[in-house]
Amino acid sequence: MPGGSTAVPATAGHRHTALSLHLIIALSMVASLVVSVAEHSFAADNDQGAQLAATCAACHRLDGRDKGIPSIVGLSEEQFATAMRAYKSGERSGPIMQTMARSLSNEEIQILARYFAARGKETQRQ
Amino acid sequence: MTGWTRRQFGYLAGAMSIGALRPLAARGQAKAQVIVIGGGVGGATAAKYLALGSEALDVTLVEPKTRYTTCFFSNLYLAGLRSLESLTHGYETLAQRYGVKVIHDSVTTIDPVAKNVSLEGGAKLSYDRVVLAPGIAFKAGAIDGYDAAAIEIMPHAWTAGSQTSLLRRQLESMEDGGVFVLVAPPDPFRCPPGPYERASLIAYYFKQYKPRAKILILDAKDTFFAQDVFEDGWSRHYRGMIEWLPGQFTGGIKALDVKGRLIKTVGDTFKADVANVIPAQEAGRLAHQTHLVDQSGWCPIDPMTFESKLQPGIHIIGDAAKAGNMAKSAFASNSQAKVCAFAILAALTGSERFAPHLFNTCFTLLAPDDAVTSAISYGAEPETIKVNDFFLSKVGDKAETRRAAAREANGWYAAFTHDIFG
Repeated sequence: MPGGSTAVPATAGHRHTALSLHLIIALSMVASLVVSVAEHSFAADNDQGAQLAATCAACHRLDGRDKGIPSIVGLSEEQFATAMRAYKSGERSGPIMQTMARSLSNEEIQILARYFAARGKETQRQ
Repeated sequence: MTGWTRRQFGYLAGAMSIGALRPLAARGQAKAQVIVIGGGVGGATAAKYLALGSEALDVTLVEPKTRYTTCFFSNLYLAGLRSLESLTHGYETLAQRYGVKVIHDSVTTIDPVAKNVSLEGGAKLSYDRVVLAPGIAFKAGAIDGYDAAAIEIMPHAWTAGSQTSLLRRQLESMEDGGVFVLVAPPDPFRCPPGPYERASLIAYYFKQYKPRAKILILDAKDTFFAQDVFEDGWSRHYRGMIEWLPGQFTGGIKALDVKGRLIKTVGDTFKADVANVIPAQEAGRLAHQTHLVDQSGWCPIDPMTFESKLQPGIHIIGDAAKAGNMAKSAFASNSQAKVCAFAILAALTGSERFAPHLFNTCFTLLAPDDAVTSAISYGAEPETIKVNDFFLSKVGDKAETRRAAAREANGWYAAFTHDIFG
């Protein structure tokens, strides 16, 4: 089940076979650029944000799709951090998220908040 | 700090200079070799996160089967609530999107001294690190009369696929008023709530199609996971249908008479119309053969890296690992695989290491609209893994809470399998 974000830009160039060679080359360069960015949005990205986010990915899809578990990609840094702090203090209900939030330090929550805010911007651009 | 800008700049620069090619591949440098053996939840997750984490690694996944059917959610299939196809996944995305080299073959030997892996097809692969995710094997001789032939008549259905469909066919052809006997294994075993969820969902199926049928659980244990929550669910949904007999009552399961579909305990003989015998478990075959197993039958590991304590350079993840108080579950395997992948990335590429996070979540269905949840966070210590924090649904939860959890369970399956295979 492909994650969708790479598929559309990757094939966009092929529909323009009647266009000039220069345009085709330009389009395919753009296409490969987008593919590369999308593939690497999580790839070769092994910093603390990405490592922590891997835990979230076991329940929340990181391509921004939502099939019953809410997407956390696209929340602003403040929205994410506020929600996680509320789970951590018990102010917000949801036992799985409370347990998860309590396992994170305040600093780790902030790192995740930055990570997901950045991923949201990236997903929007595609 | 603007991590985003820094990362984004890196991708753009890389993409500009060489288009869609990967930098190291383009320059033809020798890469470190990581071989992941076993394409279940742990193995597939490890392969994906290793490949994602660095372009300086060649990641090879060796798995004999081309399709993997998840054991989790297979009780829904037994109840007629999901197809087996909907629980079956391939490795195409790991190969195509993440560049994992997928080889469909069986490993015959791992040589930890020469650091190579031999395949049945004749190939020999060198490695810098191996990740072994062999899953479980069933202990031979634990129950008299339990052998390869018995499995085809009294299926375990504890690895999903043909065993699961065999059990489903037997349940479908059982007459109303028949007795389904489930033999539950001793600790530790794969998926602690699994046998009891299975009894619940098969009761759901019986209630609709064979309302006079009975379910008898013959347990090796005297207690089981979330017992009060299950027993409450059974009395609310399936009153009088499920009977559970603990080990101390029966004296333990001693022998099977496969032809007669008889299950013999110390004091009694029980006649089944359909029998699901889930035997005692241990680490998978390859772990034993490679001397990665201690007296417990499981593989001792360093909790920070999941590297074997018996053979350096080989990491063991998933059900086969002796991971302290971590449950043997798909979620735990996925969590371990990530910790292991990041530790290997740090060792081979010099990437920074951070405190490992180990977690387990589980959705267990008592009925299609009544799900129990649990969440556990763990702390990895030098010698063991301990429970830091624990949540489990309680008797008396609101019906709406349980309904919401059942809806969430389906969303979780989609997201979780996407994390592994997508």
